[in-house]
Amino acid sequence: MATFSGHFGGGVQSYFMFLRFLVVLNFLSFLLIAGFILIPSIVFRSTSNMTVDSTGCVCVSGLEECRVYDPNLQGLVVFYQYFLDLLSGTGFMEYSYMFYGYYNNTVAESSGFHYNLPLAYLLTSVFYFAFCLICIITRMGSALRIAVATGSGAAGSYSKMVFTGWDFGCQGDRATQLKQKSIHYQLQVDLEEERLQKKSLSLTLGQTVGLCSLRIFLMLVSLALIGGAFFGIFKATVFSQAQVGAEGILGLFWVYLPSIVITTGNFVVPFMCDQIALFERYSPSTTIIMALFRSVFLRMISLGVLLFTLWSQITCFKDSPKCELCQYNNKEYPCWETRVGQEMYKLALFDFLITIAMLILVEFPRRLFVDHYSCALTRWVGRQEFLVPPNVLGQVYGQTVVWTGALFCPLLPLINTLKFFILFYCKKVTLFSNCRPAVKTFRSTTSIIFFLVVLLFGWGIALVAMIYSLAQIHPSMSCGPFRSLTMMWSIVPNTFYTLSLTTQDFIFYMGSQAFSIPLFIFSCVVLCYVAALAAVYFDRRKWK
Amino acid sequence: MGTTASQLGKDLLSEYQELTFLTKQEILLAHKRFSELLSKEDRNLTSVPMEKVLSLPELKSNPFRKRICHVFSTSDMKDGSLTFEDFLDLLSAFSDSATLEIKSHYAFRIFDFDDDGTLDGGDLEKLVNCLTGETEDTRLTPEEMRQLISNILEESDIDKDGTVNLSEFQHVISRSPDFVSSFKIVL
Repeated sequence: MATFSGHFGGGVQSYFMFLRFLVVLNFLSFLLIAGFILIPSIVFRSTSNMTVDSTGCVCVSGLEECRVYDPNLQGLVVFYQYFLDLLSGTGFMEYSYMFYGYYNNTVAESSGFHYNLPLAYLLTSVFYFAFCLICIITRMGSALRIAVATGSGAAGSYSKMVFTGWDFGCQGDRATQLKQKSIHYQLQVDLEEERLQKKSLSLTLGQTVGLCSLRIFLMLVSLALIGGAFFGIFKATVFSQAQVGAEGILGLFWVYLPSIVITTGNFVVPFMCDQIALFERYSPSTTIIMALFRSVFLRMISLGVLLFTLWSQITCFKDSPKCELCQYNNKEYPCWETRVGQEMYKLALFDFLITIAMLILVEFPRRLFVDHYSCALTRWVGRQEFLVPPNVLGQVYGQTVVWTGALFCPLLPLINTLKFFILFYCKKVTLFSNCRPAVKTFRSTTSIIFFLVVLLFGWGIALVAMIYSLAQIHPSMSCGPFRSLTMMWSIVPNTFYTLSLTTQDFIFYMGSQAFSIPLFIFSCVVLCYVAALAAVYFDRRKWK
Repeated sequence: MGTTASQLGKDLLSEYQELTFLTKQEILLAHKRFSELLSKEDRNLTSVPMEKVLSLPELKSNPFRKRICHVFSTSDMKDGSLTFEDFLDLLSAFSDSATLEIKSHYAFRIFDFDDDGTLDGGDLEKLVNCLTGETEDTRLTPEEMRQLISNILEESDIDKDGTVNLSEFQHVISRSPDFVSSFKIVL
């Protein structure tokens, strides 16, 4: 890890630490899911001496049509069909442990051992989210502690920067030059910000109004660009869903259309927004922060648009007759959860393939080209710069996809662990052989705290998606652990009422006012105490 | 008095350990590296010329290397040559266990390019040039330099005499918690 910061600066080191954190998080989540869902499921399928019983079947007659689900199992298929199925999650992969549709709503009971698989499925998913949240917050806490202790981000204090800025342990010409360049850039940025601030204070009213209106106009333009991208994603998803069943390479292309549109949007729109930002004339640090926020907004909301489109098709917003029978669109989506899981799987896989393709097809040739030919063009283009924020956003996007898809595709955390693991080593190779260090860095955007905040934002979106699926949409009646319920969440109340009466009373008491109000007051007192302690610690550090 | 023999006497070793912040192992390592700098013909010399000292990998790329040699040199000819004891003084000031006052004292002397006891505009300009790089395209523009120096003086010059003296310098240093760890050279 130390070699990263020595050669490329602290930002790159935080990026690779962040990537390692994600690998560990995904692996632990996979262990959780495997332990509670996968292994019991395998065991129950292979042993048939356990009594299988569905939990409270809402078996209304006339709904037999809703329970039809034929995942098109073919015995031996042509080899390329096998490969296409692997890429799009259909065929042999569809009816496997990979996706939601394969799991049964078994409640296994044998001599005192009682295992309710649907309940386990639901609670594991909920706990998975809570576990990720706790990990992120713990990491953020430890990073904040380090940041506070070392007094990060002391920009604006020029004498401090000049008198204490040099690291005398820095050895080697390359590291020295890198440090000198970054000090140079930092000083320039701070001086320019000060000049811009003084200038903006001295603008006349007319000039201020002109500048503001220009900025508002350009903001609207960039929002329009982003809105255009969203519309494109919506149309692509609708079109792609209608093309299910197309054969061959063209079929694969249609199936991957939403992922392609999202990835293209993620390349094109930030590039155009950067060009627009040249006219906005913000200070350099504000420009970088604005660009980052636009990228985050674009990526996360485009994922949201994809999900929204899928759901509007499943629950048919506009076209009611299709959904009247089973309360979801059972003609096109006999098992809609598997379909959503497949979309998330495709997104994750496509993201991975594109990143590897970029490494092989763009960065390596670029390095070879720049190193072996020297003309004005190569000098202008130069080696690839390793920019940390776009890489981080890519990883956060991948992780958000996994969170959204984990409910429908339980093996997705395992796939993601492998993906991030491979990506770690590929990025390391490309960093050391192809890239030159980024000179223009802005401290707060390369810190691990910023990465974790963006990750939290992604987590929030995935949480909204999960809550909507659990509480609003009718689960498929033809497949999956929740096939006999009107709502996925209802397994919890159903099981709750089978508990003993004293347990029920106890839990009701915990939820009642007599318990929760004193608990709330107590937590406020603890919060005030901790805040006071933190304030004292801050002051003491300043005095030293 | 510094011995250039291949072995350092035991009592001399303990004496050095008491006088500096270095441990015995660090002093032995310093002795070994110092002896390597002296080539065979100069065996009767007691001090190493500055060019040889600057060939040490720890100092070779440091922009302040010449100032460091000048500050720690006790030679009458002011040519930056170091005896073994000067070398130990250097390592002691830059060691892990040296106190903040010692480090800030020496840092002040290193940054004081004209050796007049205060950091005036000229010293600050040379200091900033060392920090950003000594070539033409890595320097700040004259405008930026002027703005930076006036900001520095405004922030740290408490008695408003146009220069930064030692106590004002130490006041700035004391507010920076990672100065001690960055002002460190270990062999």
